[in-house]
Amino acid sequence: MNTFSTRIRWAAAAALLLAACAPAAAPTSAPVPTAEPQIIEVTRVVAGTPEVQVITATPPPAAPAETFRVAIVMPSSTTDMAFSQSMYEGLLAVQREMGGEGAMEIAYSEGMFSVPDAAAALRDYASQGYDLVIAHGSQYGTSLAQLAPEFPETSFAWGTALDTFQAQGVTNVFAYQAEAQQGGYVLGTIAALMSESGVIGISGPVEAGDAKLYVDGFKFGAESAKAGTKVNVSYTGSFSDVSLMAAAAETHVAAGADMLTGSSQSVVGAIGVAKDQGAYWFGTQWEQTFLAPEAVVASQVYDWTGIIKDMIASHQAGVLGGKSYTLTFKNGGLVIA
Amino acid sequence: MSELFTLPVLLGILYSGIRLATPYLYAAIGETFAQRSGVYNLGVEGIMLMGAYTAFYVASISGDLWLGLGAAAGVGAMLGLLMAFVSVTLRAEQGISGIGLHLFGLGLSTLLFKTTLGGVTSISGFQPVRIPFLADIPLLGDALFNHNLLVYVAFLLVPVANWVINDTTLGLKIRAVGQNPAAADSLGVSVGKIRYLTVTVGGVFAGIAGASLSIALINLFQENMTNGQGFIAVALVYFGGWRPWGVLGGAMLFSLVNALQLWIQVAGIELESDIAVMLPYLLTIVALAVAVRRAQQPAALSKPFERGEA
Amino acid sequence: MNTSARTPLRELKMVDIVKRFPGVLANDGVNFDVRAGEVHALLGENGAGKSTLMRQLYGLYKPDSGQIIIDGQPRVFQSPADAIHAGVGMIHQHFMLVSSLTVAENVALGLASTRGPRLDLDRVAERIRGLAERYGLKVDPSAVVWQLSVGEQQRVEILKALYRGASLLVLDEPTAVLTPQEAQELFVTLRQMADDGHALIFISHKLHEVLALSHRVTVLRDGRLVGTYPTAEMTRADLARLMVGREVLLQYDRPPAQPGETRLQIDGLWAIGDRGVDAVRDFSLTVRAGEVVGLAGVSGNGQRELAEVLTGLRQPSRGKVTLNGRDVTHASPAERIAAGQCAIPEERMRTGVIKDFSVLENAILCDHSHRPFSRNTVLNFGEIAAHTRRLIADYAVKTPTAETPIKNLSGGNIQKLILARELCRKPTVIIAAQPTRGVDIGASEYIHHRLLEQRAAGTATLLISEDLDEIRALSDRIAVIFEGRLMGVVDAATATAESLGLMMAGTRQTE
Ligand SMILES: Nc1ncnc2c1ncn2[C@@H]1O[C@H](COP(=O)(O)OP(=O)(O)OP(=O)(O)O)[C@@H](O)[C@H]1O
Ligand SMILES: [Mg+2]
Repeated sequence: MNTFSTRIRWAAAAALLLAACAPAAAPTSAPVPTAEPQIIEVTRVVAGTPEVQVITATPPPAAPAETFRVAIVMPSSTTDMAFSQSMYEGLLAVQREMGGEGAMEIAYSEGMFSVPDAAAALRDYASQGYDLVIAHGSQYGTSLAQLAPEFPETSFAWGTALDTFQAQGVTNVFAYQAEAQQGGYVLGTIAALMSESGVIGISGPVEAGDAKLYVDGFKFGAESAKAGTKVNVSYTGSFSDVSLMAAAAETHVAAGADMLTGSSQSVVGAIGVAKDQGAYWFGTQWEQTFLAPEAVVASQVYDWTGIIKDMIASHQAGVLGGKSYTLTFKNGGLVIA
Repeated sequence: MSELFTLPVLLGILYSGIRLATPYLYAAIGETFAQRSGVYNLGVEGIMLMGAYTAFYVASISGDLWLGLGAAAGVGAMLGLLMAFVSVTLRAEQGISGIGLHLFGLGLSTLLFKTTLGGVTSISGFQPVRIPFLADIPLLGDALFNHNLLVYVAFLLVPVANWVINDTTLGLKIRAVGQNPAAADSLGVSVGKIRYLTVTVGGVFAGIAGASLSIALINLFQENMTNGQGFIAVALVYFGGWRPWGVLGGAMLFSLVNALQLWIQVAGIELESDIAVMLPYLLTIVALAVAVRRAQQPAALSKPFERGEA
Repeated sequence: MNTSARTPLRELKMVDIVKRFPGVLANDGVNFDVRAGEVHALLGENGAGKSTLMRQLYGLYKPDSGQIIIDGQPRVFQSPADAIHAGVGMIHQHFMLVSSLTVAENVALGLASTRGPRLDLDRVAERIRGLAERYGLKVDPSAVVWQLSVGEQQRVEILKALYRGASLLVLDEPTAVLTPQEAQELFVTLRQMADDGHALIFISHKLHEVLALSHRVTVLRDGRLVGTYPTAEMTRADLARLMVGREVLLQYDRPPAQPGETRLQIDGLWAIGDRGVDAVRDFSLTVRAGEVVGLAGVSGNGQRELAEVLTGLRQPSRGKVTLNGRDVTHASPAERIAAGQCAIPEERMRTGVIKDFSVLENAILCDHSHRPFSRNTVLNFGEIAAHTRRLIADYAVKTPTAETPIKNLSGGNIQKLILARELCRKPTVIIAAQPTRGVDIGASEYIHHRLLEQRAAGTATLLISEDLDEIRALSDRIAVIFEGRLMGVVDAATATAESLGLMMAGTRQTE
């Protein structure tokens, strides 16, 4: 009895520990941190690998004789007001441009927090003959590298990342990255100039990937724009913990911040805090204004359409992979809304 | 460091800690009832999600927060009944059926969210109610007595639950059924009825726990927004040694440390964010290991009862 | 709390009761009745159907056919609640107490309170004291049950029933777990209750208790009624014959012991009990080949812990145990078995069998990994089945089939199976703890014969028992334990009940 209850207590402890690790173990949009230090500078596109392609404006792909079939697997939902929604809406926009469902078919699996499930879905789509299969999450990379060589006719894409696995001899994988620090810098500049208290609060999910890029860019922008601006940064350790993100925003306000920002789908709670506490909010990944029009100043929006169009055009031209893309202001992939 | 331990900061931590603890209290107190009677409901998370969704949807359609809260409690009761049916009447393996209930709540709330709401929207939830006089107490008044109604109720629930479990005839039956159902049965106490009751009450509280998130604390609904809080609540029941006051202690410790780690980060104290976010979990585990006390684990926990087995 | 305001029942009749379990006809048209003011004893071998009959009376099982009639009114009990309401109380063979609750809480459980939803434990305690005084049931209402001795727990069970205003009380083997002194105290209580107009049903395998206490006695055999008789007209031998269906020897002929070499040697043994205090203190004893050494003592004086140390279930804190010349002080149960020791455990349901396993699986629990039962870890079911059938036949174990889960066997039959399993291994040392507790006289006699057979074959036997009659009937030498210490070892032939009683009460043997 006694040893049993002790065991239960340890199991409970382990449950707590697991709960602590789970969010970190399943990041939804964090790319594998790249080895190179990221230089944050708005005017220059940062080269991650030698073959970065910068897309400026691609005309819509020639209307194909048969339907172009795209499938996508995403960690969160198509309505997350963040990472997944930005890509899904990008696909819908391209679909409209190409002439609707007859020209381009979109299949998607959302909420694939579990990597093995996502890997299975990716395989399904590939074997069903989709032309382009997108693994929208850097955590899917390893699975994709194994899968791609088995389906040489199919184009694959993944992000945010820059590695197309060419070093491993894989030729049918595209990679895409968002230079989120660029918008961060711009928004940070605005925030610093707007702030009356001189204190800015940033809450990120996990200290990695485009979230980190954004947070660092924002901080750098704010500090450069106005000397003496104090920028407080916190991370919640989770992409989905709405409660903790809201508590983080409250903490920033209590610490004197009147300008707030944050990244990941969990920021929705923090936007509510900004509204209630009379602070201003800056969004990223997706247009977040309508949640609290009076509080949201501006959002950096990811516009993936250029990249999607180029991938389709490449595929139709017989180039099934090998390119790395980056979203930047210069190429129109990043937009302030 | 000195910046962190100023009075306003400490009060801020207390304020945030109290808010963060609220959903845990509802869910864990409800689970305490179920476990004291011998039923292990791992489905709390799923019920919380359904409660959060229902409260938000009903409140935003009707404009009536109370209606939303009532609907969340109702849905919680129904899911609690379902769990009771599966674990008491069908005598299914409780851990497995709880996980099933979680997946069911997660799936259904996501589906309903997609079809009825489409995307994230927010509403104006329960507003803070300043308690006259008490809120004017210097220093502590604002941190303790300027919360919304659901926060107060969550804390009041602790002494009430403690009273019900320890000082009422019903509580005696609950304890007996969780320790030795055959003995309770032999005295004419209906093991099934008591377990149905506690699991249903646990469901109601889990539903309200979800509602406290969606219409009182965060005021929006997003899929999977509970993010594991229901599972932490189950762990807190163990942590609290199946006693409401112990559950309160665990919930507050966990939430205060969470609020503290946010402050540590905001205050710019050098600490890896990965380590900071682990703090509440680590500290809770340490407290669990250090506080070696005789747990009153219900001896019949998770064992279905069938009459006639000696 | 109008629990005792109800009019007490005057007569209860069970008519043509039939109850069937898979493969067993547990009650076959049984007629039975009990009246206010009498103690009615119910006798029968293990598995005769006594507990089954009583469980129907208490609403735990429903009869397949037959009627229960109280004061002329037919009654149907759907659950214990109905039976309690009709004034029936039951003290189960296995106690039905919530060990983490206090005495008062156990008594108040399920009853309405005088304070509405709030518990009124202070008033309950007051009433308990009143009842305790009246019937000599000394117990502290605020004590937590797990801290109570077995005798006290039984008093709580009786108080529970009395508190509910039971006018008929069923006691299923109440003395099996009591020391002789506690049993005497219980009889005083029961007589007082009968004098007060309660009806009592008393089940026991100890014939002298039945003869001393009851007014009438009913005998069951194989689920059928043998008859109901006025106790005054019966003798021990009569009752034994009615139960078993043949003459039962109540005495054994034992040739004088021919002790050989020392087989089991215990030197200065100390062990800590469950409560964290020393339960066995500086205990030394030797058992030689071809002799039975009885270890007598009032229960709770360290016998259980000693048996656990000797079988490898508990680690001693000091001292040494030698088995056939080998030091086994810290050996595992398996090593001891390999060294030729076998054990008949005290708590048969906990350490003797796996209750959800079948008779067959339990029969080879220890030997399953050896030939002929298995080869390279694969079980040989043909051989196992044949072996089990042999054991069942040799030891007259009553079971519907070899595949029946062992928990459905009656207590005595489980004990026979354990004995069969252990003895067929041809041990050199036997540790037998309470080998006949709860076992009927026929089976007890049988078990005793087997143990004496082993003695004749040169086995060394340590017999641990709280039943002095058993100890005296089987032992060559008698050791007495008190508070974990050896009070002395006497020659069984010359020991008197008085001298043993004194030693059991803590007086050291004087020479
Ligand atoms: N729940 C059950 N399922 C199947 N068989 C049962 C069950 N309970 C009892 N039996 C069988 O019914 C018969 C009568 O058992 P019962 O327990 O009434 O015997 P008993 O007279 O009380 O014996 P003992 O003196 O050993 O307690 C036995 O053969 C037993 O195996
Ligand atoms: Mg019996």
